[in-house]
Amino acid sequence: MSLSDLVLSIADNKQMLGLRYAEWATRAPSLEADIAAAAMGLDDLGHSRVLYGCLEPLGEDPRGPGRESDAGSLRSLQYFDAPWTEWAQFVAANAILDSAFTVMIEACVSGSVEVLQHRLRKMLMEERYHFLHGRSWLKEMGDSPAVEQAWREALEWFGPDGGELGRRLAAKLERPEPKLKIDWSKWDPIRRRTLPGAIDLRTFDMLRGLEEQRYGITGAEAPARG
Amino acid sequence: MTQYKRVSGDAVEYEVFARKTRGEPLHQVGSVVAPDDDLAVAYARATYDEERWVEMAIVRKEHVIELWRPGEP
Repeated sequence: MSLSDLVLSIADNKQMLGLRYAEWATRAPSLEADIAAAAMGLDDLGHSRVLYGCLEPLGEDPRGPGRESDAGSLRSLQYFDAPWTEWAQFVAANAILDSAFTVMIEACVSGSVEVLQHRLRKMLMEERYHFLHGRSWLKEMGDSPAVEQAWREALEWFGPDGGELGRRLAAKLERPEPKLKIDWSKWDPIRRRTLPGAIDLRTFDMLRGLEEQRYGITGAEAPARG
Repeated sequence: MTQYKRVSGDAVEYEVFARKTRGEPLHQVGSVVAPDDDLAVAYARATYDEERWVEMAIVRKEHVIELWRPGEP
């Protein structure tokens, strides 16, 4: 596990978080929440691009050719594998997972690697609004299965030695850290999750530009659907 | 779909103020409706992002003290 592996994990997760946010840009409970979902989606997609751009200056790019053919080689969490069906899932991701990524980015910004110190700082300013949005909605929604799931995946993402990060997340959310039993023997240190699985095919096709071809945007012939 | 009380009943109106340069005065750019200050901040920032504002502020509409209104002497 190198620093590049960690940065790629944040990038892949923010890319998926941004896409899942964007899917709610016309489905949130109010027009204001629609607009916020769209804005936060754009923010996180932008953050992922900055993070991918940090891999080269870090001197190591762990992205292999498998990323073009195997959705399971992307490093996003199980929480993003399928589109969310409930607003509660949006809120739990917004409040807990987005904040978990922020806690890690804060650690990078206050760390000793210059490229991360400089390039990630602006993200924290934008993330402040994601946090306020998530915290406020979480107050309204209260506990839900999605909240527990998000906490579980945040703690898995922090890893077996991530106790301090978990405490920082709990402090940020002003909520006690739930006591969850995590089977670390199943933990994948590259994908930072305990369960296998991958994002849905449609989203994977979209990431690879294949959905665009289906709509004729590139002029190329649409690929056969598997 | 679930009805969230914050979407209708408890919502509060906020006025949004901003300026593009230090030299110009703050002026009203719009309003947002939200159940609390945190969400109003998030909504204002997401909704009124068409300019590179150097400053943005929101205020609860109920906190605005009117001296007079149109049509009053």
